[in-house]
Order: sequence, then C-alpha cells, then structure tokens
Amino acid sequence: MSAVIEIHGLRKSFRPLRGAPRVALDGFDMLVEAGQVHGFLGPNGSGKTTTLRTLLGLVQADAGSMRVLGEPAPERLPVVAPRFGAIVESPQFFGNFTGRRTLRLLATAGGVEPARVDEVLERVGLRDRADDRVKGYSLGMKQRLAVASALLKSPELLILDEPANGLDPAGIREMRDLVRDLASSGVTVLVSSHILAEIELICDHVTIISRGRRVTAGTVGEVLAGFDRGEYLVRVDDHDRATGLITAAGHDVVTYPDRLVVSGVTDPAALSRILGEQDLWVRELTPLTPDLESVFLELTGTVPHPGIPQQVDDSVLPQHTATAYDGPVAQIELGSTAEPDDGARPAAIGAGAPATTDEGTKA
Amino acid sequence: MNLIQAELERLGARRFVQLMLALLVVAFAVTVVTTVAGSRQPTAGEVERARVEVQQQIDTNERWLRECRESREEDPQNFRSRYPVDCDEVFTRTPQIEDYLTGVFVFERQMPGLIYFLITFLALFGFLVGASYIGADLNSGGMTNLLLWRPQRLTVLGTKLGSLLGAVLGLSIVSSVLYLGAFWLVGQARGYPGILDADFWNTILTTTVRGWFLTLMVTALGFAIAVLGRHTAAALGVLAGYAVIWEGGGRIVMEIIDAPRPDVLMLSTYVGAWVLGQLHLSDQNFDCGPSLADFCQPTQYVLSWPAALLVLLVVVGAFVAGAFANFRKRDLV
Repeated sequence: MSAVIEIHGLRKSFRPLRGAPRVALDGFDMLVEAGQVHGFLGPNGSGKTTTLRTLLGLVQADAGSMRVLGEPAPERLPVVAPRFGAIVESPQFFGNFTGRRTLRLLATAGGVEPARVDEVLERVGLRDRADDRVKGYSLGMKQRLAVASALLKSPELLILDEPANGLDPAGIREMRDLVRDLASSGVTVLVSSHILAEIELICDHVTIISRGRRVTAGTVGEVLAGFDRGEYLVRVDDHDRATGLITAAGHDVVTYPDRLVVSGVTDPAALSRILGEQDLWVRELTPLTPDLESVFLELTGTVPHPGIPQQVDDSVLPQHTATAYDGPVAQIELGSTAEPDDGARPAAIGAGAPATTDEGTKA
Repeated sequence: MNLIQAELERLGARRFVQLMLALLVVAFAVTVVTTVAGSRQPTAGEVERARVEVQQQIDTNERWLRECRESREEDPQNFRSRYPVDCDEVFTRTPQIEDYLTGVFVFERQMPGLIYFLITFLALFGFLVGASYIGADLNSGGMTNLLLWRPQRLTVLGTKLGSLLGAVLGLSIVSSVLYLGAFWLVGQARGYPGILDADFWNTILTTTVRGWFLTLMVTALGFAIAVLGRHTAAALGVLAGYAVIWEGGGRIVMEIIDAPRPDVLMLSTYVGAWVLGQLHLSDQNFDCGPSLADFCQPTQYVLSWPAALLVLLVVVGAFVAGAFANFRKRDLV
C-alpha cells in the first residue's frame, strides 16, 4: 500500500510574548497508508490538532518533513488540495450564511460543480435545513456542515478532527456509518477523536500521541495485543481452593468476592483441566481482552483517580526511539511521566479490570 | 476567477456590508433631501432681477477700475490712500446671476463642496468594510476553511484584497454618478444649474477621481490593519487611537513645544492636500521685515498633491506589505 500521509520528526513550538516556548510537537512521526481508517488519539493538548494544522499548512513547522498524497507538504499542498478534504477542530462558519450558501461559496472557490452541494447536504442529513442560517444550527449540525464541506471535493483522503463533537447518539452512529461507507469506497480516512469506543469500532489503524511525541502506532489489534496479559475471568464454587490450585500451577490470581482474575494464561484449556481434576467445575471462563480506552489511558498516563485531578500536562512523555519510523507496526515507546510516578496509580487494562470500588486480593 | 467570484459573492452577502451600504444610501439621501428642502426654483422674475443686478454690479466694477487706473497715472502720490497697489487684483471674477439668487441651490457653486461629503462617506465606508470583511473572516474561521480549499495564503489574501478594492471602486463610481446626477437634477428642477463649463466639469471630475483613489487607499489600510490585528476592532482601535492621540494630542504637544511644521507630521494634512490638489500651510517661524514697523508674517509653504500622494502611498504600502508578510508566516491556530 502507498503512503498517503507521512510525517517524520515534526517539531513545533509556540512562543508566547512572555514566558518560555511551549513545545507542541517534539519529533512526531506518523504514517497513514492508502485505504486505512486511521485513528489519531491523544490527551487534550497532546498535539493532535497542531499536527493536523501543520499538515494542512495552517501552522508552520519548526522542523521535520511531511508528505500528503505523495507530495511534500506544505509546499505542494495547492497541487493535492483538490484530492483531500479536511475539517480541523470545531467547525466555524459565518452565522448569517445559510448552510447551502456556505457550501456553494466553497464549491465556487474550489471549482466544484454546484450540484455536488445538494449531494453532500443529503449525505450528511442537512437537506431539510440547508436554507437555514448557520447561526441557528446546533453544534452537531455545524459539525455535519463541516463534514459536508470536506466531502464536497469527493476526496481520496479525508482528515476529520473530532468529527463526533456535539453529535447526538444517532449522529455519532451516522458519522460512523459515513466513515465506513467512505472507507469501503476507497477513501483513506484520518480521524482524531476522544471517543475511543468509536475509534475502536471504525478504525483499523491508530497512532497515539502524548506531549508531542508518538507513543505507539499500528493496527488496532497490534496495539491491543501489546497489552494482552493473558487474563481470564474464572467463576467456580470454591474460590479459595481454586486460588490455591491455580497459584500452584504458576499463575497470578486476583480474588474477588464473585470471581477470580487469572493472568499469564496461554492455554485456557489447561486452566480448566487443573480445576476439573480436583472436582472444581468451571462455571465461567472468559478472556479479558484490553480495550482501546484502557490502552490509551495507560499509554498516555492519563488514568483518572478519585480525588486526584488530572492536569493537562500530566500525560506520559514518551522517549524518542533511536531508529527512524519504520511503518505501521505497534511500538510501545513509553517514557517518563510528567511527574514522578509514585506507583499509586494502578493500570486499568482489560474490559473486566477490577473496579476501584470492588478491590480484589492478589494471591 | 472562481475565487474572485466567490469572494465578491461573499462580500455582497455579508450583513455588515449590506448595513453599511444602506447607511451610505441613507447618508446620500439625507444630503439630497436636505438640499432639496433648502432650495427652491427661482421664478423668471427673480432671474431677470438678478440679471439686472449683475449688469449694475459689472458697471460699478468697471467704473471703479477705470478710476483706479486713472488715479494711479494722474496722482501716484495719493494713489495708495484710496486704491490697492494693483487695480486688477480687486475684481478677479465677474459677477454671476446666481450671486443674486438667495435660497436657491446653485449646482455649479455648491457641487464642489458636496463632493467632499461624497468622498468622506466613501472613505469611511471603505475603511469599515475593508476592516470588517477580513476581520470577520479571520475571526470566524472562514479564512481557515478557505485555506483548506486553497492552501495558497498570499493568493487567497491578495484575491480578497483585490476583490474588495474592485467592489469598493465599482460602488464608488456608481454612487458618485448617482450622487452627481441627483444634485444635477436638483439644480435643474429645484435650483439653478449655473455655468457648467469645461473648467467646472474638470474640477468635479478631478476631485471625484482623487476621492476614489483616497477611498481605495483607506480601504486597503483598514484591511491591512485588521489583518495585522487579526480583528475588525484592531482597525477601528488604531483609527480612533491615531485620531485622538496623534492628530489631537500630538498636535497640541507640538504647538506647545513650537515644533516648526507640525502639519507635515499629520496624515490628515496629506489627505487634504491630495483631495484639494494642494494645501497652503503656515510655518511656526515668522518672517519679519527689516524694520520693527513691518508686520511679522508666518512663513507660508505649499504641500502639493504629488508629495501628498507619495506619503499616503508609502504609509498604505507599508501597512499592506506588513499585513501580507505577517499573514504568510502566521500560525492559524
């Protein structure tokens, strides 16, 4: 597959009038290949929007190189602009223009057939409100209008920054379906979002950024696999006996009132056999696979803890890797956190991870 | 071409522009209506009576001129006690019928002054629309959206400025024609046209064209300041600040410290010289004669329109160049 977006060593600092420069991007790398639905994740202030704005020529990079659709950016963006559509952060339009006029003006400026305006209005569900003024639109409707503007050019590449912002549940589902439809028709989609469940549902690849550096990248499966600890949820009648037997077999066990969580399991049948041989019949044996949200929180060091407000710069500062970016292979590049971690923050990996109010006992 | 078309449509669709256009029309209408209300069509009798008075005045002037010249030749010693040094200096213009028509709008006499109203209206319109057009675009994210479609900053900004100037020039031409036409009609139907010779039309045309050019410069200035300040209010703030602090306060301070030529430091001086063609100004250095009995006259100097235009172009050019240079490198966050 050919690279659609390539970013290498991207650096950007913002220099306020007073005070020290703020590093937004610190040697960031990203690769998006043709046909991917690529999720771009990161905590608030981690550099997602700066990356997209830099890629689109709205912000000037201090260092690094970028290519969009094979052409160097931002120098050759005017050449490839007709082939990509983008929305960046919250959509902003003239409030006194109607949705239709807003799109028509963009279509005129971009040399797009006016008939395309009605097509995209229909596509994003704004057909019946197209002649209303934008200032009367809800945030979700403005978001739809922004997506419509990005679709006007029938793009090969679609860059969507937080497309689900302000959308109601039905709108989120529609957006998901829209992205899937576009992907199935061959459009490459780069989507940044905070709604990790959505990303997990629609994206096949992800890049996670923290404090301006890439934390990990790869297929969703690869990223999740990096955090698969072979955990299983086990329910039997006698937890104490089961814990003893499993521990004796060399597995770690965390005991809860109604279940056991066993980690380090490579062969769940063997676990069942150990218990069965001692007349302990397994009532439930469920693999606990990590979800993207859990992985994201751990990788970025942003797991919330009761009573400890999370600060925006508290996320993980990944170490730079010695080698150049080598493609969409999951790489876990964790470094230090912004503040020394005193170990008080447990990782929350796995869909069935213990709830903080339901603490288990490690055997 | 598509971008120009889109920009012109965007400009025309802006409510602020529509509001300013409505205010411009209202201002013109008020000026015309006030003139109509203050004028009346002179009767044939009044015109005839004025014609007689003109003839009488011409006769009186000729008689006085003749006496002046005779006195200069016959009695040079006492000549200066009754007549000026140069007899021909006194009557520089021939009396006209309109001099003797009271309460009548005379197109020939009043139009040159009314053109300055037109120029003021147009310049104010241009400045506000120029600043608001780009200020709102930068502030609302419209510019960001456009740059996602046309990632060519200087082309986009240049097209916006070019479209704006083209639209303002077009509006200036149309409104000037309507303005002149309206007063010409008033002069015909409810006043007195006067002598509309080539000199008159030449003066009107020259002043109007200068007004258009001033309007374009002021429009570009408003646009550039709003780009630099990233907001419409920046242009309005700079305008108000300049007027109050420099043109007002600065002038007072310079008078207190007896600065020799404070007028040359004020942009308003150059605007005046450009529109009027030239401006006669007084220096703070007095030119006294050799004798104590002589009057001390302030030194006069003249500011001509080419010099004024050069200064205005340098100022506007600096702001516009600065705006483009700044916008080319600016992070749009």
